[in-house]
Amino acid sequence: MVTILGREVPNQLNELTVQQFEDITTIHANQELDAIEKHIDVFTLLGVPEADWDDVSIEEFKEYVKQFNNLSGKPELQPSFEHMNYTYTAFDETFKLSVRDTKHIDKVMHSRHKGYISEMLAILFKRTDLTKAEHYADAHIKLKAKIIRELKAEIAVPYLVEVGQKLAKQMPKDVPTEVVE
Amino acid sequence: MYLPKSWSEIDVLQFKEIRELYSIQEVFTREIEILSALADIPSDDLEDLDISEVSEMLAKITFINSEPSKNYKHVIGEYHYKPLNTLTVGEFIDLEHYFSKDYNQHVGHIASIIYRKVMTNDWGETVFEPYEFKPSLRCSIFDEVCINDIYGILPEYLAYRDSFMTTYANLFTDEDGSEEDEDEVPVTSDEAKEIALKKSEKKWGWERLIYSLCNEDLTKFNEVTNLSLIMTFNMLGMKKELNV
Repeated sequence: MVTILGREVPNQLNELTVQQFEDITTIHANQELDAIEKHIDVFTLLGVPEADWDDVSIEEFKEYVKQFNNLSGKPELQPSFEHMNYTYTAFDETFKLSVRDTKHIDKVMHSRHKGYISEMLAILFKRTDLTKAEHYADAHIKLKAKIIRELKAEIAVPYLVEVGQKLAKQMPKDVPTEVVE
Repeated sequence: MYLPKSWSEIDVLQFKEIRELYSIQEVFTREIEILSALADIPSDDLEDLDISEVSEMLAKITFINSEPSKNYKHVIGEYHYKPLNTLTVGEFIDLEHYFSKDYNQHVGHIASIIYRKVMTNDWGETVFEPYEFKPSLRCSIFDEVCINDIYGILPEYLAYRDSFMTTYANLFTDEDGSEEDEDEVPVTSDEAKEIALKKSEKKWGWERLIYSLCNEDLTKFNEVTNLSLIMTFNMLGMKKELNV
């Protein structure tokens, strides 16, 4: 936590929820906002009202942003989590990204709708008592995504990094058609 | 699992299947579907693999991101390439029909108009068979032809069409010389009627042309569609310029 204008603001990945992390990501992806507006919106989201910034100098503001962005530790990939006596597992020993998961993630990423991070995790984490057919059912993915949004962001970020790296390395580039003589 | 290495191993049927898969928006899903089509295995068989394993396969089929060869063959079995400057009105209208749709899906139809049987006449000249068949009944002949052998007729026709449209541009514009505006929005009811009439004229454009060339005698329909395209449009251009 960091104290900003007298308020306790969650900033570490084990303090923010996946839902908050998604909301922050959405704010930062908004191209209609400039950098300062983005930070103000993030602070508003986390409990600092916009009006509180009225009398704050730009130097102070920058210092708060610096404190907020100061993350400690690097979370590891968590193979599974428990919820309501069910176990949701992403991998046993080594994390592998299957073609099936990638196809579903591709679909979610392509839509870029709000909440796509938790849906991506919902594809990776599978309830151990269910079958392959049920893992990918739309309603089940939505339900898992809802559960995941309540978890801490420390579960999501390592997967975002890992999946992002794997996709960047393995995924075909969407290159335009070239002419071959 | 055998994977083709270039377009030279792909026939027209596979080419159409691959091009149809291009409509899948998600890049990875599209590539997996194309991979399964090229390997001739269900995509389900690939789904349990790790993406690092399929990426090696995908690296072998990068040729799908390029176009097949433009150097088409002039003879495919008993069918010979008919030069585009010898097209008839009827052939041109049907080609326009196939090109106005997804022409990649109509390669066979287009090839069956452009590649024709030939014979030698009494004067030792090569004569092309008349256009008295339906392309839809003949297109399957080209299904197993290598796409590299005929793909080039597509860009060649498009280039020919561009040149043709430029040459006869005055025949494809309104009486006032303006080109059609698809987004024209009517303000008054008279304008709405005029736009509706234009759309109707566009819809029946070729039929109106033939009907006019037949002097409204439909028994002459085949005679008109068998006329040389260039000669017909030269005459139409002359009529318009001289207002006769």
